[in-house]
Amino acid sequence: MADTAGHSPGSTASTIRNSSAAIAVLVLALAPQLVDLVWSIGGLLGSLAGLVKSSGRNPAQVLAGHGSALLFAVPSLAFGSFGATTKSALSSETLLALIYTYPLLAVAAFTLFVKLRAPQDYFGGVILMAIALFALWASSDLQGTRGFSFGAGTTPRMFGVLLLALGAGVAVVGLVTDGPKLATYAWRGPLFESLSILSFALTIRPLGLVISAFASFIISALGTPETRWTETIIVGICLTIGCSLLFPYALGLPLQLFPRFLLQ
Amino acid sequence: MADLFSGLALGFGVALTPINLMLCLIGALVGTLVGVLPGIGTIATVAMLLPITFGLPPIGALIMLAGIYYGAQYGGSTTSILVNIPGEATSVVTTLDGFQMAKQGRAGPALAIAAIGSFFAGCVATVLIAVLGAPLTKLALAFGPAEYFSLMVLGLIFAVVLAKGSVLKAVAMIVFGLLLSMVGSDIETGVSRMAFNLPELADGLGFATVAMGVFGFAEIIRNLDAGAQMDRELVQQKITGLMPTRKDLMVSAPAIIRGTVLGSILGILPGGGAVIASFAAYTFEKKISRDPSRFGRGAIEGVAAPESANNAAAQTSFIPLLTLGIPPNAVMALMVGAMTIHGIVPGPQVMQKQPELVWGMIASMWIGNLMLIIINLPLVGIWVRLLRVPYRLMFPSIMVFCAIGIYSINNAPVDVILAGAFGLLGYWLIKHDFEPAPLLLGMVLGPLMEENLRRALLISRGDWTVFLTRPLSAVLMALAASLLVLAVLPSLRKKRDEVFAETED
Repeated sequence: MADTAGHSPGSTASTIRNSSAAIAVLVLALAPQLVDLVWSIGGLLGSLAGLVKSSGRNPAQVLAGHGSALLFAVPSLAFGSFGATTKSALSSETLLALIYTYPLLAVAAFTLFVKLRAPQDYFGGVILMAIALFALWASSDLQGTRGFSFGAGTTPRMFGVLLLALGAGVAVVGLVTDGPKLATYAWRGPLFESLSILSFALTIRPLGLVISAFASFIISALGTPETRWTETIIVGICLTIGCSLLFPYALGLPLQLFPRFLLQ
Repeated sequence: MADLFSGLALGFGVALTPINLMLCLIGALVGTLVGVLPGIGTIATVAMLLPITFGLPPIGALIMLAGIYYGAQYGGSTTSILVNIPGEATSVVTTLDGFQMAKQGRAGPALAIAAIGSFFAGCVATVLIAVLGAPLTKLALAFGPAEYFSLMVLGLIFAVVLAKGSVLKAVAMIVFGLLLSMVGSDIETGVSRMAFNLPELADGLGFATVAMGVFGFAEIIRNLDAGAQMDRELVQQKITGLMPTRKDLMVSAPAIIRGTVLGSILGILPGGGAVIASFAAYTFEKKISRDPSRFGRGAIEGVAAPESANNAAAQTSFIPLLTLGIPPNAVMALMVGAMTIHGIVPGPQVMQKQPELVWGMIASMWIGNLMLIIINLPLVGIWVRLLRVPYRLMFPSIMVFCAIGIYSINNAPVDVILAGAFGLLGYWLIKHDFEPAPLLLGMVLGPLMEENLRRALLISRGDWTVFLTRPLSAVLMALAASLLVLAVLPSLRKKRDEVFAETED
């Protein structure tokens, strides 16, 4: 990696990299809100199609809720000022903005101005911080310490703060010592293996072991370009037969073999 | 003394029933079968095969699991020696000289000496467990919550010291694991914590789910990165002459004894003794050898010592599990998972209330070892053939097998999705050079640690100094602190890196 600070081509390259790094952290900071939005859109579509019961909140509400929370979190904190009594009055969205998003936005801004000497460590640390902040938000509604007796929320918060500090430590190490670049991620393997797992989870109940095992075998085999289809299909069939004999019969597990609608 | 032998006699009485012998045999066979597959270590093997023991009675299930464990470990050494792919950390050292021996056409003696060394170590360690088990149980009764907490801190620090790479990252992984263990219901109040109102999370994250995701799925995804055509330098010669020569035996006998002693001691300490045992035994052999340059070029001591050390440590690591109920490493943690599924809470009470279970398991470990030596040596040819199955056919099979395994634990599709998510997390961890093993240990020890921490502070009325004022606890804490300091010290760090670097050429 050419991180020569003096040369102009090198420095422009590093600013470009840094702004994309900052954008990555920015997306991370807004990730829970985005996931919530996507989830609510999915819920809306699902309820339109009549597949699932409406989750209760439509995308517009979610957008408005998070938007106002992000904008007004600081004022509402300022109005409520100090005191734990008002904290419980804050909505979950506001807390998310305060506990999770704002600190990460600060990290994103910070990323813009620093030189990442070991990006692998830096991003590892930042994501650990994000996980810690998220856990802190998730446990913010729990009872804290009362007198000398721990509440349900004491230990999660304790370890959350600890992980936050450690994540920050790892990130700082990535700033002050030279280290490896980001490893390259492949898309094909992770994508098809995830799809294979997902298809198994979704089809095992309605369609039974035979179909879902074979389908997830084939999807999983898509994970590499080297698959040769004839042999894969033959092995897939053999494996499916083997599993159908092994799990329900040899091991006596209550697995359904064939689709439900065929059995009725 | 009479106590001890009556215990062992009881154990053999239980373990030698035809059904339990059968279970041990099947476990050892299946464990080897899966453990031989490259890229699947002991933890992944035990995690994958855990569900097949659910239908059995508790004793049978644990005996079978012990068989699987030893089989997997032996399978791992076979892969290390024949194809230079260590299935897991403990067999990394074996690849150094084992593979060189195989290249010279001496795969047979290498495999045989690994089995013989393991068996010898297993015999010694079994006796050690029998001797130390009862006194340690008495010691365990002197343990209050503060001591338990400190001991677990010590164990976790040990795991940090042994993890390779950055100490900071290893500590972060442990804390991440602890945090993950908090998901679900609170032990005391029953309040749901960090579960986002999802009923599936109300019971917490399943240990097997996380283990299978982080180790099984993540490993497959990572291997696919490199292309399914894994670079396998398979030993093509036919394996002839299984038995080691007289000279081989003469050279390796003292190495086996040294390895056994070292391994037995390191295994008792909580925190992943087996890994450090094999490394320590190898470096020790190299240090005291008259001609250190032979190592790495096919020295038989280089196979004998780490293999016996690793097996001795694996065996003695049952001691903290059975007496204190603290799993010293990730595999033992899986065993605890299996025990709790069968309604057994490991700890000092098990020794007294269910002696046939404890002694049966100890005896079956020995039998498992014996079986490995008897069945596996003649079967080496089959294992070699299995290694020739191309990875492009193997990995989808492993995926399906894992998916069915996870689903069958609770009959819950959500568990499968969670395992997939943890697979992606594990892939991310690998990409950022974080080690998943400390995470798993943290996750297992989390609930125990929290419970004891809360209890200790409740008894001391909120006084945090209780961990330093109770003598036993103070000693443990001091040990943990000094270990951590040692791990951070630059001189030792360099040494530690050297040990690991040597194995990665």
